[in-house]
Amino acid sequence: MTFSVLDWTIVIAYLVFSVAIGMIGKKYVGSVADYLVAGRELGTFVGIATLAATEIGTITFMYNAELGYRYGFAPFVVALISGLVMIFIGRTGFVITRFRSLKLMTVPEFFERKYSLGLRLLTGVLVALGGILNMGVFLKIEGEFLTVISGIPAKYLVTVMTVILLLEMLYTVVGGMVSIVITDFLQYVLLSVATILVSIYAVFHAGWHTIVAKVETTMGAAGFNPIVNPKFGLTFIIWQILLWFSVHTCWQTTAMRIFSTKDPETSKRVMTWTGFIYLGRGMLPMLWGIAALAVLGTGDNHNGVPMPVLNGHALLPIDAMPAMLGSILGHGVKGIVVAGMLAATMSVNSSYLLGWSSVISQDIILPARRILHKPELSSRRQIQVNRIANLFVGLFLMFWGLYYTPPGAVYLYLNVTGTIFLAGAFACVIGGLYWKRANVAGGYLAMFMGAAGAVVPFFFLHWNENITGFIAFALAGIGLVFGSLSGRASTRAIAEKKMP
Amino acid sequence: MNYWLMFWTGALVIAGCSFAVITAIVSVCGYRDLMQMFRRLTAQHGKENE
Repeated sequence: MTFSVLDWTIVIAYLVFSVAIGMIGKKYVGSVADYLVAGRELGTFVGIATLAATEIGTITFMYNAELGYRYGFAPFVVALISGLVMIFIGRTGFVITRFRSLKLMTVPEFFERKYSLGLRLLTGVLVALGGILNMGVFLKIEGEFLTVISGIPAKYLVTVMTVILLLEMLYTVVGGMVSIVITDFLQYVLLSVATILVSIYAVFHAGWHTIVAKVETTMGAAGFNPIVNPKFGLTFIIWQILLWFSVHTCWQTTAMRIFSTKDPETSKRVMTWTGFIYLGRGMLPMLWGIAALAVLGTGDNHNGVPMPVLNGHALLPIDAMPAMLGSILGHGVKGIVVAGMLAATMSVNSSYLLGWSSVISQDIILPARRILHKPELSSRRQIQVNRIANLFVGLFLMFWGLYYTPPGAVYLYLNVTGTIFLAGAFACVIGGLYWKRANVAGGYLAMFMGAAGAVVPFFFLHWNENITGFIAFALAGIGLVFGSLSGRASTRAIAEKKMP
Repeated sequence: MNYWLMFWTGALVIAGCSFAVITAIVSVCGYRDLMQMFRRLTAQHGKENE
């Protein structure tokens, strides 16, 4: 065991405190709007905290560090794109101000306002499918991080996964978005402190010149230049720009923060400032991965990169970063860092649980009831349905996490599963908001072609992720334009819903 | 390669500094926002109950 009593005390104290303050949220939840979008009362700073905490988890640190370990500085382009696109959206209000003005609770809800109830249902299914498959690998990787860094034997991985899941479900199910906002604030502060601490430790321990020299000798120019790196290149960069535009506007958990802000201007400020955080969210963990390559990369070459070795044991590239942290951090600091990582894990997972369960309840179950002419559910019943959906999503995550291991870099798997719905949803949202000609036929074609473009090449033809992602977005765009031009123009006006 | 290294080093410094500065500001001002959110939610429920 590499964890001391002091480290365990810090971690357990954090867990108890975090769950306890999360339970406070229950007393502020009166309606379904309170439960799902915190009564639309988020201010700028708490909005930044909750958006950043939602999209920075142990999974983020792990996949970014893996990218750094495998490909050196070249993947910094991903962080740069994600941050700059977010700042652009924040400055211009592209999509988000119109979304916020519509007082939505979920992204698929827009599809009913602009297109049809059926398209909302289809989008809900694809959003839930893509989102839950995406989140399906989180628990296992987070469990691996905690077992590797703390020295818990690997046979307890399932127990660690279960404990993480139960703790975050406890307050998410009870207090919904209000609980999540409260815990996100605490978790954001803690995870940021841990991020800064680890960055300083990693560079200090490995040495900047050693880090640069290792990348230079192992990868050459491909370790610095994303255009010449065979894993990336121009196709990848174009796909990433499209992907990050769609993530920052249509990704359910990000969009829920935008829907929760006090007004459209607040949503713009939240986006702009979080964009700067996104630069560090990507680059800093990638740097940890490169530092881990410099410190532990002494094993046999695999795909041009030496495998990490610790105490004579060969590891996977994704485990190099936690293994390095386990060996360089002192007692006490390790406890703070693990508490920070747990904070990151819980903030992401709780928001994702709420995000995907809200799509299941609001965009699959409720529209299906309307199609079947069943009576509308009361606000209280909608919250109950959401809580049950939350439990089912949690159970699925456990089983999928144990069953499925993504091929290749985890970041690329997450991108492709997200693209299943993002490609079509992004095309439909842009068309719906900015093109009067967009209609239901175009919407269906975009969703089907976007999803097929992501699923078939990746899961069945085993094509490269770059090509898969690029094709999915291209097909979705073609589908929307072709369907809209061949059918009648939409006569539906996007009305603001009378919501609390 | 040197240009790329210089570019990424600069980007990393900007990313690290902005991350630290925004964290400090959000930590202080976010607490105030959170308290305001609680007050507004309580007021909303008060109105709904009247």
